[in-house]
Amino acid sequence: MLTLLPTLAAASFLVFLFIHLIPGDPAAILLGDAATPEAAAALSKELGLDEPLLKQYALWLGNVAQGDLGTSIFFQQPVLSVIGDGAETSILLAVMTMFWIIAFGVPVGVISAIRRGSWIDQISSGGAMLFASVPTFWLGLYLIHIFSVGLGWFPSSGFPSISDDGGLANLRYLLLPSLTLAAPNAALIIRLVRASMLDVSREDYVRTARAKGLHPARVAVRHVFRNALIAVAAAFGFTFAALVSEAVVTETVFSLPGIGRLVVQSILRRDYPVIQGVVLVVVVLYMAVNLLVDLAYASLDPRVSLN
Amino acid sequence: MKLFPKQKRNLLAFGAAIAMAGGAAADGTFRYATVGEPPSLDQHVVTSDLATTIAHHMFEGLYTFDSSNSPRPLLASGDSMSEDGKSITISLREGVLFHNGDEMTSTDVVASLRRWGEHGSRGGLLFANVDSVSASGDHEVTIQLSAPFGPWKNLLAFINGGPAIHPASVMEGSGKEPIAPQDYIGTGPYMFSEWVANRHVELVRFDGYVSPEGTPDGYAGQRSAEFDSLRFIPVPDVGTRVAGLKAGDYDYAESIPGDLYAELDADESVRTILNGSPIFGLVFMNSRHGPLMENFALRRAIQAALDKTAALHVAIGPEGLWRANGSFLPEGNVWYSENGTGQFSLGDPDSSRAIAEEAGYDGDPIKFMVSTNYPFHYDSAVVYTKQLAQAGFNIDLQVYDWATLIQKRAQPDQWDLFFTHHGFVPDPILISVMNDNYPGWWTTKEKADLKSRFTMSSDPAERQAIWSEIQGLIYEQVPTMKTGDVYTYNIASPALKGLGEATLIWPHFWNVSK
Repeated sequence: MLTLLPTLAAASFLVFLFIHLIPGDPAAILLGDAATPEAAAALSKELGLDEPLLKQYALWLGNVAQGDLGTSIFFQQPVLSVIGDGAETSILLAVMTMFWIIAFGVPVGVISAIRRGSWIDQISSGGAMLFASVPTFWLGLYLIHIFSVGLGWFPSSGFPSISDDGGLANLRYLLLPSLTLAAPNAALIIRLVRASMLDVSREDYVRTARAKGLHPARVAVRHVFRNALIAVAAAFGFTFAALVSEAVVTETVFSLPGIGRLVVQSILRRDYPVIQGVVLVVVVLYMAVNLLVDLAYASLDPRVSLN
Repeated sequence: MKLFPKQKRNLLAFGAAIAMAGGAAADGTFRYATVGEPPSLDQHVVTSDLATTIAHHMFEGLYTFDSSNSPRPLLASGDSMSEDGKSITISLREGVLFHNGDEMTSTDVVASLRRWGEHGSRGGLLFANVDSVSASGDHEVTIQLSAPFGPWKNLLAFINGGPAIHPASVMEGSGKEPIAPQDYIGTGPYMFSEWVANRHVELVRFDGYVSPEGTPDGYAGQRSAEFDSLRFIPVPDVGTRVAGLKAGDYDYAESIPGDLYAELDADESVRTILNGSPIFGLVFMNSRHGPLMENFALRRAIQAALDKTAALHVAIGPEGLWRANGSFLPEGNVWYSENGTGQFSLGDPDSSRAIAEEAGYDGDPIKFMVSTNYPFHYDSAVVYTKQLAQAGFNIDLQVYDWATLIQKRAQPDQWDLFFTHHGFVPDPILISVMNDNYPGWWTTKEKADLKSRFTMSSDPAERQAIWSEIQGLIYEQVPTMKTGDVYTYNIASPALKGLGEATLIWPHFWNVSK
């Protein structure tokens, strides 16, 4: 785990440098259009933004080492609390989306591979292409118009925390967004599972299993699907990490208080501590996912040793 | 997996909720879909309109505006002025409570005015002429001016970047940095509850509110909090704001684009509410550096090339939402003037070319900064660039995000023109071009003389006449070009009662119910 620290430090330094090199002064944004440059400069000084960059970075790094990610310039709240609130939405959205991806993507991909060339394969492959091509903002707005405005079945936007009134029932706010986000990703998983299954089914050991007279279903599940999963596991891992950190469009369309929207808004208003904090969290998330994928390889493929 | 009873209940509730219509909120909560999040709610230092839309339910000043934009007492109960016009005595309403339960006294007012005067965005305008502010009684303050200053009451009444009254304990040690949410203590009908980043800002009814008396008129008169809470929810996508209001998830949604106006105005499930006070675009010229610095003729050449009506058509859309009005304040307002407006929208490239040649323009690039954060800025700038090119100008259109633009405009060598917009103000002294330190830095002797006369006069008719002269000077020296009036509009649920036909400057939701 110690080898991860240099990666974290490098990522945080590069992001710190790049975000400070972009023109823009959070103090001027905070004060608004009527403020004079002198007033913005005075506030910048009060916020410590006029200090040399390296000094600011060293200060930030020192605080991070003590578990303090700083205070948001914009919200005047601890960064950890701002990110924590966004993380709840993003993680729950990613989990629900992964549920739809696995529930639809994997079975359809498997059936499509088993029934290669049949009408089922044609329909599922065509459907996958269609959903992979549909822009999420378009799909999201249509789902809102049909299921929220038209039928009134689901809320159109927002997401109250599950710790608020309503509890787990608040997850209904994430139903349409998760379906929107799942559509293109499930389509890719369908294509990936199908291609991987077809590759594996051409292997010698699969031919041997069939020659031994094993039941086709047993061959498909035990020999083909399990080995095909090795290639798909990495895709699951990185899809999940991307869903947590990059669902900006879906979060915007459904007005979800997630991490993706938070980081985009923070960049626009130059809220440096929040940007730094989110990057740190996302880098840690990707590293954790990388580790989990490696562990999954070891469990799926006996040839892979953890040593 | 074995579920705990609470989890079982939650799952049942989830299932039931799926089967039921979604989106209903608890009675008594008013839900306002905002275009984004405010930078802070501290009215002394922040001039964001969204911040004021939220904050003026919590914070009150000594005065406010009625529907004719005249200042009326709010926390003040009356005032008097010495014969030489240099001493203002303001008496305060008694028994007014802050949200922390303490009674407002002159100590709080003096502390608030001092902090606003020293650190407030607009406080310097008044305090450049203030010798002292002191408590002359428990419920009386005296402002001693160095010279008579006509717009003092308008400045005290304008809450955006204005002197909201806070407890002295909050003001102690407050500087330029906005006060923190836990210190959002005012005297308004609603008080601060919570600000959950990215989710909402929530205010709740203040049961100890002591309302001013009188028939409600604009922001003046009696105020009554009808809702249990006001919730301001950031919904950045306009399609979602509209759909959310139609679905019943929001009661009110702001900043709807012009191209949806006709459709929404005809929709019975939605009520459109025009803002009665227009915003207006401004193209500032650099008076400190570059080819336009002192070349008024060249500026007039640029002004002559522009057809503002064409740009308004493109940038705003339906004709009911804009007016090609050259007066800085709209028709019907006491500050309306036609002086100089003949130059507002000539759209004459030949005349422009001739004036530019006479002014010595040799084709040097003119740097024109605009931001895409505001579509109407960018759309207008594209039209202007084409019109200026037709008149022979070499325009270097530089497109930035807003944060970059406001940093670059502070550096005089980075630009020649930049596009911004201005909210409605009830007194021309508040228009940014009147501020010598605002980027553009218009500080000519003619302006200084007129501005001095304008601020020293307390006679309304005389002030109106001087403002008309200043407007004429703006069209002559062209420190900025007004691009026309834009009437923004919001949408609301038809179930809301008490909204009125139009908003004054910022919508308010006291005296509103559903």
